[in-house]
Amino acid sequence: MRLRDNLKEDIVREEAIKMLANEGFDGFSMNKLAKVSNVSVATLYIYYKDKETLLKVIGTEIGRSFMQNTLKDFSAKMPFAEGLKKQWENRSDFAIQFPLEVACYEILRHSNHGEYINEESFKDFKTTMQEFTHNAIERKELIPLSIEAFWSVAYGPLYTLLRFHNEGKSIGGRKFIFNKKVMDEAFQLTIKALTP
Amino acid sequence: MIIELEKPTVMSIDYNQILLFKTNIRSEDDKKCIEPILNSHKKISEWNVDTEDVDCVLRIVSHSLTHDHIISEIKKLGFQCNELI
Repeated sequence: MRLRDNLKEDIVREEAIKMLANEGFDGFSMNKLAKVSNVSVATLYIYYKDKETLLKVIGTEIGRSFMQNTLKDFSAKMPFAEGLKKQWENRSDFAIQFPLEVACYEILRHSNHGEYINEESFKDFKTTMQEFTHNAIERKELIPLSIEAFWSVAYGPLYTLLRFHNEGKSIGGRKFIFNKKVMDEAFQLTIKALTP
Repeated sequence: MIIELEKPTVMSIDYNQILLFKTNIRSEDDKKCIEPILNSHKKISEWNVDTEDVDCVLRIVSHSLTHDHIISEIKKLGFQCNELI
């Protein structure tokens, strides 16, 4: 009986993430993936029923690992400032440690499979984050506001800094590396904006 | 930081039962042409065509059918079909 080779499967997954992150959705094919992973196309189709399945599995895996990391040492009961700080730390740790995964996830999230991947990865995560903001509003630590306004103020500054970091430069081409000092600076202002 | 990836359960079948072919079954209309014969075949437990990718891979799960049998069935319908190695 033919067996699944876990090592090969890991290589396939790694190469798929690399290819998606670097070449985008349109630049991705099973044929190319097989070549760079050093396996036959047939092997790929033994592991995965089709391209769609492979992309969904990879997207969901990245989403879940992002979620697990983001919830590390975090609880919905935390005081708002402490909890949001933890979110910033966890999210920036993940983005800096796994830039390819993050780029790949962004591409998949904006593809036809985005909705499925989102649903599968973030079921419990959404509930926890909703509880967190709900608790904070009840304790009057957070101004009640629409979810879009909340998200853009609460996380927008962090993701702008992470984008600068990814590009290696900020405004006007200034060299930039993400660091705790600049994160704290932006965080203080974010908390100020969101606190009643 | 260590990330724990959950291993997804993709499929739980004997991989020897999977027959793979490179075809030119490219569109939904093409797929409809082969659907009646594959759907009604008692020895085929599962099948799909990856029309999203260049090789248009036809994947068949069957305990007893051979590659040659499928190739001749698909060719009869006017499509190219070769064993994917």
